[in-house]
Amino acid sequence: MNSAAVRRYLPGTLAVLLALGGWEILSRSGVVNRALLPPPSVVLDTLFVVMKSRAFLTPLAHTMTLMFAGYAIACVLGVAFGIAMGRSEAIHNLFEPLAEMIRPIPKPALIPPLFLFFGIGVKTMLIIVVLAAFFPVLINTIQGVRWVDVTLVNTARTFRLSQTALTLKVILPAALPMIMTGMRVSLGLALTLTILAEMLAGESGIGYLILDMQRAFQIRQMYAWVVVLAVIGVALNALFEWVERRALPWRGQ
Amino acid sequence: MKSISLTNVQKTFGTGPNALLTLKSITLEFRVGEFLAILGPSGCGKSTLLQIIAGLIPGSGGDVSFGGVPVSGPPAGMVYLFQQYSKSLLPWRSVAGNVALAFEASNGDSRARIRERATGYLELVGLSGFENHYPWQLSGGMQQRVAIARALAANPRVLLLDEPFSAVDALTRVELQSLILDLWEKQKLTVVLVTHDVDEAVFLSDRIAILSRRPAVIEDVIETAIPRPRDAITTREHPRFLALRHVLMERLLSRPAVK
Repeated sequence: MNSAAVRRYLPGTLAVLLALGGWEILSRSGVVNRALLPPPSVVLDTLFVVMKSRAFLTPLAHTMTLMFAGYAIACVLGVAFGIAMGRSEAIHNLFEPLAEMIRPIPKPALIPPLFLFFGIGVKTMLIIVVLAAFFPVLINTIQGVRWVDVTLVNTARTFRLSQTALTLKVILPAALPMIMTGMRVSLGLALTLTILAEMLAGESGIGYLILDMQRAFQIRQMYAWVVVLAVIGVALNALFEWVERRALPWRGQ
Repeated sequence: MKSISLTNVQKTFGTGPNALLTLKSITLEFRVGEFLAILGPSGCGKSTLLQIIAGLIPGSGGDVSFGGVPVSGPPAGMVYLFQQYSKSLLPWRSVAGNVALAFEASNGDSRARIRERATGYLELVGLSGFENHYPWQLSGGMQQRVAIARALAANPRVLLLDEPFSAVDALTRVELQSLILDLWEKQKLTVVLVTHDVDEAVFLSDRIAILSRRPAVIEDVIETAIPRPRDAITTREHPRFLALRHVLMERLLSRPAVK
């Protein structure tokens, strides 16, 4: 590692180690109740036990399936409506008030009413993930489409591209940086709402397990699953950055 | 033979008390195969006029026809080359991919054939070997060459140039001017060039239409009558070039400023 990399990453790494060390000491010395906050070394041990057991993959798959299904539906709908609303004043005027009415509602508040109509189960959970992830994609797509430079649109027009070709070959790629910014916000929201929905309505999944472990006073396992979630968060972010770099190699040039 | 005719073309931006009359009344005929420059001060509505000719924006009054057919949208056989090449090239497409955009309104060719055709047009503008580069990897002058290759790839009869050389450095400008002249002769194009650069208008064109300040009318149409082929250095020393340049500079500079 060169000195620039050391300067960049060393302080942050030390801060993390210091925090973990502090936690370990607080817990082991008995300053905080060890039963409520086991030291990180113990949580790590538990994590390995959980990961090796057969009970690991099922909840993980449950959570990821729900999250990605909701996220994918939200992205497709958000981009489709965003392009339509960004391109057509009439469609924008039709849907904008409706969108602005639903968008500001903190989405967890909609879970209880949705229970009434769709029952306490997967249907409601999926709907709430879609609702939460939809709006950032929608809003950013509309902005992205509207900000496409008029020169670019006129270029497509002077070469007599059809409306469909203009949309697919010029508008969509030109708006992609903004669209992906929205998708990135939505990814975090999708995970958050998936966990919350599982806590309230689930019979499986990581959110359900964390709450279940807490109620059963299996504190170590509870923390182990929280760590799993943290790792998922970091991994999703890294995956997104990788996709973004692949999709937008021209960005920032 | 007429290529494009403009009859009493008008353009007003906005409505009510804030309406801005930009083009008062423009009547002009373009001959097939000529190189015509529209010369005028900045902000007089030259680009607006060119965009109306191209069918990119509608006029507020009057008629535009191309080959006898009224223009109501971008017509086939006419391509507009933008001043801002950096905003006109698709940054996510390679140089060859950008040129290929010109073929995509009329699809049907195989990928390999499209690639081959794009390569051919890049060769015309001296960019062989840059097919796989991206626009942002090229200099401004090379980017404008890509835009020129793409315009030619649409196989136009008329090329509309909107101050295409104003954003590049002086030497590159001279090179690009020679390239355009060369292509105009080889491809038998009709070229309409909008510019505020007297030197450029005189050097390149057969006729110069002088636009007044806003609201614009055509003050005069002058035959340059400078022999061809033109040379980047000697043509600029030709007595007729110098005389025309003198007269036009005087006319552009002596006019009272807009109140």
